[in-house]
Amino acid sequence: MSTATTNLSGAETRDVSDRDVAVGTFVTEGERYYAPAFEDIQKRETPFWRLNLWALLIPWFWAAYRGLWLLFWVALAVDVLAIVCLLQIIKYSPLLAEAEINASANATLVARYTSWLQVFTTTGLVVLIAGRLWLGHVANHWYYRQYSRWRINSETPSGISMKRVVIGAVIMALVMPLTFYRATQQRLDDRACLNQLRAGEQVEGLYSVYGVASPDALLPLMQSQADELTTRRATLDALDELTDAQKSERSRLRSEARQLDRSIGTVEDYQQITARDRFDCGFIDDFPTLARLDPPESVTYRRVPDEAAIANGEVGATMLLRNVKDPVEGRKVSIFTYTAESIDISINYLRASYATFFDTMTSILRQSLIRVEVAFMETPWPVVAFLFLVLSWAYTDRATTVFVASSLVFLAVFELWQIAMQTMALVVVATAICVFVGLPVGIWMAKNKYFRWFTEPVLDVMQTIPSLSYLVPAVAFFGISQPPAVLATVVFAIPPMVKLTALGILQVPESTKEAALAFGASDRQLLRKVELPMAVPSIMAGLNQTIMLALSMATISAFIGAAGLGALVTESLGDAQAGKGLLAGIAIALVAMMIDRILRGVRASFSRI
Amino acid sequence: MSDAVVELEGVWKVFGDRAPQAMEAIRTEGLGKPEVLERFGAVVGVKDASFKVAEGEIFCLMGLSGSGKSTLVRHINRLIEPTAGTIRILGEDIGAMKADALRAVRAEKIGMVFQNMALLPHRSVRDNIGFALELRGMDAYHRSQLADKALETVSLHGYGDRLPSELSGGMQQRVGLARALAADPEILLMDEPFSALDPLIRRNLQDEFLSLSANLKKTTVFITHDLDEAIRMGDRIGIMKDGEIVQIGTAEDIVTAPADDYVADFVAGISRLKLVSAAKIMVSKDQHEAKHGPIDLGLEHPVAHPEDDLDTLVELSTHSDHPVLIKADEAILGIVDKNTLLHGIQGSANA
Repeated sequence: MSTATTNLSGAETRDVSDRDVAVGTFVTEGERYYAPAFEDIQKRETPFWRLNLWALLIPWFWAAYRGLWLLFWVALAVDVLAIVCLLQIIKYSPLLAEAEINASANATLVARYTSWLQVFTTTGLVVLIAGRLWLGHVANHWYYRQYSRWRINSETPSGISMKRVVIGAVIMALVMPLTFYRATQQRLDDRACLNQLRAGEQVEGLYSVYGVASPDALLPLMQSQADELTTRRATLDALDELTDAQKSERSRLRSEARQLDRSIGTVEDYQQITARDRFDCGFIDDFPTLARLDPPESVTYRRVPDEAAIANGEVGATMLLRNVKDPVEGRKVSIFTYTAESIDISINYLRASYATFFDTMTSILRQSLIRVEVAFMETPWPVVAFLFLVLSWAYTDRATTVFVASSLVFLAVFELWQIAMQTMALVVVATAICVFVGLPVGIWMAKNKYFRWFTEPVLDVMQTIPSLSYLVPAVAFFGISQPPAVLATVVFAIPPMVKLTALGILQVPESTKEAALAFGASDRQLLRKVELPMAVPSIMAGLNQTIMLALSMATISAFIGAAGLGALVTESLGDAQAGKGLLAGIAIALVAMMIDRILRGVRASFSRI
Repeated sequence: MSDAVVELEGVWKVFGDRAPQAMEAIRTEGLGKPEVLERFGAVVGVKDASFKVAEGEIFCLMGLSGSGKSTLVRHINRLIEPTAGTIRILGEDIGAMKADALRAVRAEKIGMVFQNMALLPHRSVRDNIGFALELRGMDAYHRSQLADKALETVSLHGYGDRLPSELSGGMQQRVGLARALAADPEILLMDEPFSALDPLIRRNLQDEFLSLSANLKKTTVFITHDLDEAIRMGDRIGIMKDGEIVQIGTAEDIVTAPADDYVADFVAGISRLKLVSAAKIMVSKDQHEAKHGPIDLGLEHPVAHPEDDLDTLVELSTHSDHPVLIKADEAILGIVDKNTLLHGIQGSANA
């Protein structure tokens, strides 16, 4: 950089079109200031008192003008913070004044408001002053950094532009007024807003009854109706003797009048809601979703024995019974409720229509679970413990074997053995399903990029969606206890299996696959003899994660009645027994770590890559 | 024609989604590479390549990186489908083969060696070598016997049970070669097999491959970006530039008569001593006498054959003051004096 000589002597004469001496091109305006400033930054000789006055006084304008958007946003944040603090004065001063009218009675209030006012005032001022000073200080540094970026990539904003100032002004216009307005207002509480909303709905209902569309038109109509009721009752009251019919007529009139009075009250209340309150509640506080829909038809489906068919000799024939409930008069629901109810109805429909399928699946799951559980629980504990020890002895080091042995002792001593075995059975079945489903899906995912595009987000959702939220439909479809727990566990635990299988296959070098093809491998041989073996480490890592996740689901699935250590944890949660919960939790962790360590050893000794 | 083991005829490869249209446009409108890229977004990888490789011949494809030589060689076993043109292996059109037949040809007729070895890391050396045999369904017993034989051929006896990662780069490439040889194919495709090795090992392996080749007589297509290697290994050399074969010939042809400036530039730094024969630089007796006066045949002139290389002529010349007579069957075909010889070595003579 030769700015030192040029900016002092002949900044104007320099050829600014040359990108190598381009501070002039970059800043476009004010090169005489920025060229030496940048040079000082390069030399690390910027004096501490050098502040960029523009950035100090009107930072957002300066930043937008020069395209330094980072500084623009930071300045906006600093200013908004400071101003919001200061605006609290407007909010609390009247309250303080009101409280001071009766200072002795409201001593705490006065003290509170005074201290709040002080805190807000100081904070606001400090943020404003310190923030601006800091902005003035960093402005040139940030601007220099932008300049460095611009030299690499000419797309980086440079020069000056009024258009950017306009954009900046629009941003500020969008952000500041509403924020400031909100900051000066006492917040209406949620109940007040809700009442407002309800009143609105009622009034709207009255509109349809009276066929008008404003409270001003509504009130006279209602008033005249009320008057009419009063006159009719007065005539009845004037009579000395009343027949029974007249008596009931009178009481009916009375109750009608009461109701009308209430409605009139509501309308009057509604009329008195100020526009500002309406704005505060309906627009500022919450996204103004005004849509209110008719609720979906409330249908339930039930599968019942089909008597007619059975009479015709079809054994066990069933039919779908559709039952429609009468809608609640005038009920309107939000989009959320509408969708949620529709989903409920579809689940109900699916469950009833495909009952055989779901029942079969449930029973398959239950049967396999029972088998595995029996294997774990009926095998005498010394045998299971011995197998664990042998496995860890064969595949891991001595320290791990000691760890496994002490974990087993822990389970035995705390009498958690059988419960732990139940958990194990659940994990084993879930993991087996994960492998049998996850492996082929993973392979397909690796082979087909469109399937991959589709599957990846699905897997992400499966992993992140709270498991409690799909436990409910799982229960709807598969009842409670173990089977839905297994399915929920599979949903939660299968993504790593699928993802890591796909990853392992995709990671096989193209050149290796090419070599296999060059020696005459078919697609199937390529998969079996090259891709899968080379993906084994990745697949094993996936299996490991799947098992860990399955174990961590043990607790959650206890909510729907799955037996095992998780059930112990949920039980202790219900009874607020911290000790019991902790011990069960530790047992889960130990089981997980035992399986993990042993598997890791197996993996290491099998993987040759 | 029938003795050509590998035969390529007008092979084109255009990469891109609209390759067929691009090919059509090249045919009908004679578009150049830049226009094809601009109009179809397609890249011409191989441009109208034709050559034949005779049985037992080592044919070197030489070119800088990106010249399309690796692409071209992958057409021979149809790892890459040509956009146009035919490729015949042992007289059979490989483009017309069904998948099954193609796999059989790949496994039994063609062995391939890769620059980065591309061994399977999870298999022992022996299982790597027997890979092609295994794919054809051969049982483990015969497979390992053949693999051990191949190991011996590349002097790696006893390494069968190691993993590739336990071997040095040079040894790994020997394994690659053994893998290519194990099924005893007629054709070897060598894709820059020695480029990733250090010079000493490279030279070593080149020598070994040459002596192996002399015994086994495999028809070989050898890819290299190194002209020295091409000259050492190749019976004939094809020089590629931008996807096009610009010249095919023996090393001597290419060095003495480069087809264009590009090839000339390439061969400029090559030592001609061992490449150029006396016949290429000698002048006729009449020409010589016109310049230097009659030759006294009574003097002790050194004598050489027309096929003798310049190295021999230098040797003869240093022991005599007289020009060298190039004779065949007692007839004097030409004369090489010291100036002619020096020009010949320099490469600026009458070549």
